[in-house]
Amino acid sequence: MSDDSSGFRQDPVGALRAWWTDAERADRLVYTAIAAVVVLLTVGVAIGSIGIRYVAGLLVLVAMYSLLTTGLNVQWGYAGLINFSVIAFWGIGAYTAMLVSSANSPLELGWHPAAAIPLAIVAGTVVAVFIGIPTLRLREDYLAIASLGLAEVVRLILLNERQWTAGSQGISGIPVPLSWLPFGTRTAVLLIGAVLLLAVYLFVRRIHRSPWGRVQRTVRADEDLAEALGKDSYRLKMQAFVIGSVVMTLSGVLYVFYAQFLGPADLLPLETFYVWVALILGGTGSDKGALLGGAVIVLIREGTRFLSGTAAFDLLQTGLEVVGILTHINTASLRLFAVGVLIVLVIRYRPEGLLPPREELIWPDAKRRAEVSGDRSAHGDAPGAVAEPVPETGSDDEGEEK
Amino acid sequence: MVAQLIVNGIVYSSIIVLASIGLSLVYSIGNFANFAHGDTMAVGAFVALASAPLVQAIVPGVTIAGFPLWFFGALLVGMAAAAVVAVVTEYVVYRPLDSSAIGLLITSIGVALAYRALLLMQFGPGQQSYPVSRGGRIPWVESALGVSVTARDVVIVFSSIVLVASLHAMLQYTTLGRKMRAMADNAELARVSGIRTGEVIIAMWVIGAALAGAGGVFLGLDTIIRPRMGFELLLLIFAAVILGGIGSVYGAMLGGFAIGMAHELTPAIPFIGTEYNAAVAFLVMIAILLVRPNGILGGDAT
Amino acid sequence: MSTGHAYDGADVEKPNPVLRVDGLRKSFGGLVATDDVTLEVERGSITGMIGPNGAGKSTLFNLISGFYEPDAGTVSVRESGPDDDRAGDGDDPEAGWHDVTGMKPHRVARNGLVRTFQTPRRLEGMTVREAMMVGQTDQIGESILPLFTDRSAVTANETETLERAHDLLERFEIDHLASAPATELSGGQLKLVEMARALMVDPEIILLDEPVAGVNPTLARKLSRFIRELNADGQTFLIIEHDMSFIMDLADPIIVLDQGRVLLESDPETVRTDERVIEAYLGGNA
Repeated sequence: MSDDSSGFRQDPVGALRAWWTDAERADRLVYTAIAAVVVLLTVGVAIGSIGIRYVAGLLVLVAMYSLLTTGLNVQWGYAGLINFSVIAFWGIGAYTAMLVSSANSPLELGWHPAAAIPLAIVAGTVVAVFIGIPTLRLREDYLAIASLGLAEVVRLILLNERQWTAGSQGISGIPVPLSWLPFGTRTAVLLIGAVLLLAVYLFVRRIHRSPWGRVQRTVRADEDLAEALGKDSYRLKMQAFVIGSVVMTLSGVLYVFYAQFLGPADLLPLETFYVWVALILGGTGSDKGALLGGAVIVLIREGTRFLSGTAAFDLLQTGLEVVGILTHINTASLRLFAVGVLIVLVIRYRPEGLLPPREELIWPDAKRRAEVSGDRSAHGDAPGAVAEPVPETGSDDEGEEK
Repeated sequence: MVAQLIVNGIVYSSIIVLASIGLSLVYSIGNFANFAHGDTMAVGAFVALASAPLVQAIVPGVTIAGFPLWFFGALLVGMAAAAVVAVVTEYVVYRPLDSSAIGLLITSIGVALAYRALLLMQFGPGQQSYPVSRGGRIPWVESALGVSVTARDVVIVFSSIVLVASLHAMLQYTTLGRKMRAMADNAELARVSGIRTGEVIIAMWVIGAALAGAGGVFLGLDTIIRPRMGFELLLLIFAAVILGGIGSVYGAMLGGFAIGMAHELTPAIPFIGTEYNAAVAFLVMIAILLVRPNGILGGDAT
Repeated sequence: MSTGHAYDGADVEKPNPVLRVDGLRKSFGGLVATDDVTLEVERGSITGMIGPNGAGKSTLFNLISGFYEPDAGTVSVRESGPDDDRAGDGDDPEAGWHDVTGMKPHRVARNGLVRTFQTPRRLEGMTVREAMMVGQTDQIGESILPLFTDRSAVTANETETLERAHDLLERFEIDHLASAPATELSGGQLKLVEMARALMVDPEIILLDEPVAGVNPTLARKLSRFIRELNADGQTFLIIEHDMSFIMDLADPIIVLDQGRVLLESDPETVRTDERVIEAYLGGNA
């Protein structure tokens, strides 16, 4: 899809039109579906059948999850790192914010909540480097286990070192930045979420469509090859790991502004896998896909909660009780089941996700400027659309057939 | 005091070893990291529990050294159930999938969540125990060695030894065992030399899951039964397999022993509370991996 | 440039070597894969390496390129001097040598030694030209900071890389595939891309690992032609190959490896008729 940020500024309508025509049919379907959902929600709020506060809360959650999937996308989507410690970094961000700013924090620092962001970035970086050093040289499945284990270690520390973290009791109450604005605290949180998400999105888009993004994708596809071409794969993986982890910590900061309470029980390993489903469903390696994934996860959460509140569900429960199977079905177990089945189905039937990555990872300004043969080459055709018919496999006359 | 910890370690290790073998089999024959293995243990534990009333009715109320016979019946039911579930999953989920090892890994996470959800829906989230008396310590052991050993401990360790020995015999002396080892070494070669790989894979699931189920029952016997039990142990099982070296079932046994001991010996380490048991065992794994990235007995991964 | 001497372990001088391997040794478990190998590759040559299966050719390649760490011995690469011919002209005959022994592959590559792989790697999710552009060394945009602080430099660098990629693809007569997904290419086309990409690195020496394995004769001839053309421009090659007609036709000198040792290094005709070589192929280990 042509991606022309300066083109957009000069001619927004034209750029949008070009974007739509360039989009794959499957993508267009997804975009239409998204638009439909947005319209439905807006109408629902306008006519009063859906509370605006409820929607605002949902949007904050979408921002939070989208930040998590975006962070994971940098690690897994760009660089191929299997990281099962997503929730640990979320927790680091959340606890950093709470510990420095909350009035009830055991550390009793009482700093301004805006300090939470840079501090969370620092904390995330330090822990990521610490975890990365022993694990990034391991093969991918070892990294998976190591990250899972280290997440558990983080959780245990947060749980047991009561004098620093208040342990299982948790910490409540944190002032929200920008709450002096006339719209109230909730709107302030929403605003912060939107700004964080936008800033992160623009950041990752820039680093993705660049030589850096390209070399990361090479490391992901074939580390030996990347090394043979002179690329320091360890250093590159560390960069992706740290950046992704830092983005995840920001998600945690956002969360505490929203939820106003935090405890070690919030660091469910399950949440890590929700983020994984979200990313795979949205589109591994795709920045837009990561955002979509975040929205879909919130949809699933709310969907299962909604479902278990319906009369149909009550009927199901009664029926099951009569038969004597699955008598303990509830929101939590239903959600768990839905996510499990979803993972299996997505990997089986659409492993590339809803919005798979389509663009070449070439610096946009260079693509525009380069004088290369053929109109299409200059526009940067998507890998999904082949420029010319590729000669049959086994044929050797590449030079002669065109 | 340390002697008691060692005894605890032996009991706990038995559980880990049983689980590690199954995971290692899937790693070397199926070639992927099966994250549903922990929850397979839970399946075994719960089905054994659910079958208790039925088994008790059928099996004579005899006790072996103070331990009820019906329990072994329930154990077998649990193992069988785990095996059946694993085979069904193989046919429904894994076989139709044409995916990389990483794709299978992620799929197995979905499977794990589905198992756990079904257990939750069927049995609820609470803790449960087997209706076996929490028997007292065996007196003569206590006076002779100064450590407390219960009937449960003996059952766990003894049964594990029997199961592991049977597995060893099967691997070394039967045709199936030879086929499994061949496939573990080199699947392509095995297929080309005529080994029906489909059969071997089913055997892998049956044996691996049955042993996991047994491990789950023993874990439930040793500690408690609840839907999260398997996932909590998953980390340690993986640590054991990785430590022992991927692709080596015997390495997995060694690793299982090492991890289990490390876990129970944590109280012997000053300054670290028992809440950090899992963390210690895990950090032991990381430390060893730094020195020997292929594990203790691991060669190149097959 | 033929040496004409058999290797007896004695150093045979080459006037301007670009790669030097000295006493290289590697064992796996009890098996000695590389047994005290010493050799030199002359700059500007197409040097071939042959030997029966299990002779240790791939192991040697992996040792040289940094994918294996040797138990003993050294590997050195010499950078080309300003006149692109010989470093440290006259003053110091040993100038310009970089010891790359035991370095990680990426550092060996950055010292000017690039290798290809026997099975061409299909790069998931990339177009051919993206796959090419990765080969370029010292890309400013591969670091994150300049992407924000020095965008014009990144643009200039990337534009040049993109144009260079297209030029090389054109030279290999596959520029029409520039925007095609790398995964859709045939094996033969991938081999061409691999070679083209090696050039993007602008290396001192290219190690080709069985470039025509499983390739039909027409493509093999084409590859041979490209190698010769590039060599005429000054590119040095070290090629492992099993295909005798391909390598005899193209390379001179040819090093023969057997059981981890250098058996002989000489011109194709001498190698072809040497008794020891014939015996090595027909003997126990073929």
